[in-house]
Amino acid sequence: MNHSIAVRERSRATLLKRFFSIKAVSRIAAFLPPAALVFATAILFAEALPAIKYNGLGFLTHTQWRPGNFYVNPVTTNGVTHPVGALYGALPLILGTLESSVLALVIAVPVSIGAALIIVEKLPDHLSQTVGLFLEVLAGIPSVIFGLWGTLTLGPMLARDVFPLISQIVPNIAFFKFFKGNTGHGEGLLTSGIVLAIMVIPIIASTSRDLLRQVPRLTKEGGAALGFTDWETNRWISLPWIRTGLIGASVLGLARALGETMAVAMTSGAVLGANPSNAFLPMTTIAATIVSQLDSALTDATGLATRTLAEGALLLTLIALATNIAARLLVRRVSSTALPVGRGI
Amino acid sequence: MIQQGEHVNVQSFDALASGSDNHLEPTDLIVSTKELSLGFGQKTVIADIDLSFPRGSITALIGPSGSGKTTFLRTLNRMNDNVKGFTRTGDVLFNSESIWSPNIDLLALRRRVGMLFQRANPFPMSIEQNVIAGVKAHNIAKKSQLKQIAKMRLEEVGLWQAVETRLHDSPFRLSGGQQQLLCLARALAIGPDVLLLDEPTSALDPTSIEAVENLILSLSPAITFIVVTHNLAQARRISHNTAFFFEGQLTEYGPTKHIFEDPSRPETQRYVSGRMG
Ligand SMILES: Nc1ncnc2c1ncn2[C@@H]1O[C@H](COP(=O)(O)OP(=O)(O)O)[C@@H](O)[C@H]1O
Ligand SMILES: [Mg+2]
Repeated sequence: MNHSIAVRERSRATLLKRFFSIKAVSRIAAFLPPAALVFATAILFAEALPAIKYNGLGFLTHTQWRPGNFYVNPVTTNGVTHPVGALYGALPLILGTLESSVLALVIAVPVSIGAALIIVEKLPDHLSQTVGLFLEVLAGIPSVIFGLWGTLTLGPMLARDVFPLISQIVPNIAFFKFFKGNTGHGEGLLTSGIVLAIMVIPIIASTSRDLLRQVPRLTKEGGAALGFTDWETNRWISLPWIRTGLIGASVLGLARALGETMAVAMTSGAVLGANPSNAFLPMTTIAATIVSQLDSALTDATGLATRTLAEGALLLTLIALATNIAARLLVRRVSSTALPVGRGI
Repeated sequence: MIQQGEHVNVQSFDALASGSDNHLEPTDLIVSTKELSLGFGQKTVIADIDLSFPRGSITALIGPSGSGKTTFLRTLNRMNDNVKGFTRTGDVLFNSESIWSPNIDLLALRRRVGMLFQRANPFPMSIEQNVIAGVKAHNIAKKSQLKQIAKMRLEEVGLWQAVETRLHDSPFRLSGGQQQLLCLARALAIGPDVLLLDEPTSALDPTSIEAVENLILSLSPAITFIVVTHNLAQARRISHNTAFFFEGQLTEYGPTKHIFEDPSRPETQRYVSGRMG
């Protein structure tokens, strides 16, 4: 009797110990991602600090990107040694990053949701599986391939057949003026936006498809029984049911587009300091600038050029972070209106 | 199985009419099925059902689980049409016209023949929007009238007081009974002639059950009710006629009193006395 109690006590002790160690491990694991983020941001910040000092707030407002003269002796301003005439303004890069990503999202979100609805509600099982496989393959294609295709095939085709048409059709008012005028040669904002859209569609579409599969049949049948058309059922029941999840999926796509480097570097024209007067002309983004400028930046003996690229990277990180936080706030607002608690993600 | 469907109908109608002041034409059948057989894939779920529902009546469909009551009910407003593997022979007439006739618009049919499900299924929109969703879909009322309609229907189902101050809140925070009443208000808002109810109270508490039953009684005979129920006492309380489904057949159909007190078939006898499923 006593013996068995002792055994039980002991096994309980080991169990408890194991439980606590699992808990400890998972606690550490839970802290890893935020720790990694803080660490990476801190390193970037330290790396970028001289550039932040030298460039000042002008980094956010200037439109010029001039590394200065590497062949004469550097000078020192505000305690930072720099090439003569160095002036870095990232405004066009920031605008290019935001514009191309938003453009990509504007194209990708409706297409993805439409595709997901067709896959879930219309296609027979075997076909929807095939399309799903296709989406996964598309998501796995390296971005350099999209870049190459975009610059060699899609861009010229768009410039020849599509852009002139767009420029003709859109009304010459306010916002739409951005889609008028010189239609360029196929490297630019709109081409990048379209290529980015094609790259994020698999992400958003497959997430939306998985979300749509979770909408209860009973609720959709409630719509049908009330005489809803398929469209009304989709619009009033299925999509609202998953709307917080859809926002999440879109942010996932947006994050991908914001940080996408190669495809944009290859299709945007990557013209430094470019501030395109319309959507058809060359532009550049933060990520594309970092990759296209790294080589020459390394030749700046003062290090200011590479530190400025680090500052750009820091800025990109902050933009991505801000996007995520904004999405989170949006999700909280949207989910409080009509969804069951904890549902819809 | 019933051999002389017509005869039974007339009989059952007489029983109904004798208990009410409204004079109904004996031939006034709002829904009737003709040699209706239903199945999924190779399997036949129910065979050869000839069953008619007098306008304004309340009919209970009873029978053990799996006897095909839900399948039958869902066929009456074509909810099974798109279900995988669904097969059908025979016909369903609504106001003497086949519901699959090319003249019949599916959405219009569902406006006339509404449905309430076993579990409440509110839409992911506010309480008020839930009530008027169907009204908006069918474009029945002007925009300025929608609020008034929502109020009227919520009052009708006895939910107004409970939700008056949270019309714009989520319906998912209501109790199960309240959610089901909301779904009923939603179904009533488009003014159906027939309501199909599939075990509408099986997930509800006694108070909500009573509320739903009273509502059904008060809405009859303006609306014809066809109610699947496992609650035999409920069938006795609210229905004029009862149909007993058993092993893929319509075993017996007649006035509720007759089915419960003096059934003709031994299976019915066993079921209504609680000695079966
Ligand atoms: N969608 C479906 N696919 C295949 N079989 C089904 C489907 N729905 C119902 N059935 C089968 O039909 C039979 C009758 O089911 P149901 O109509 O739900 O009976 P009840 O409502 O009387 O319990 C059951 O054997 C059930 O398994
Ligand atoms: Mg059933």
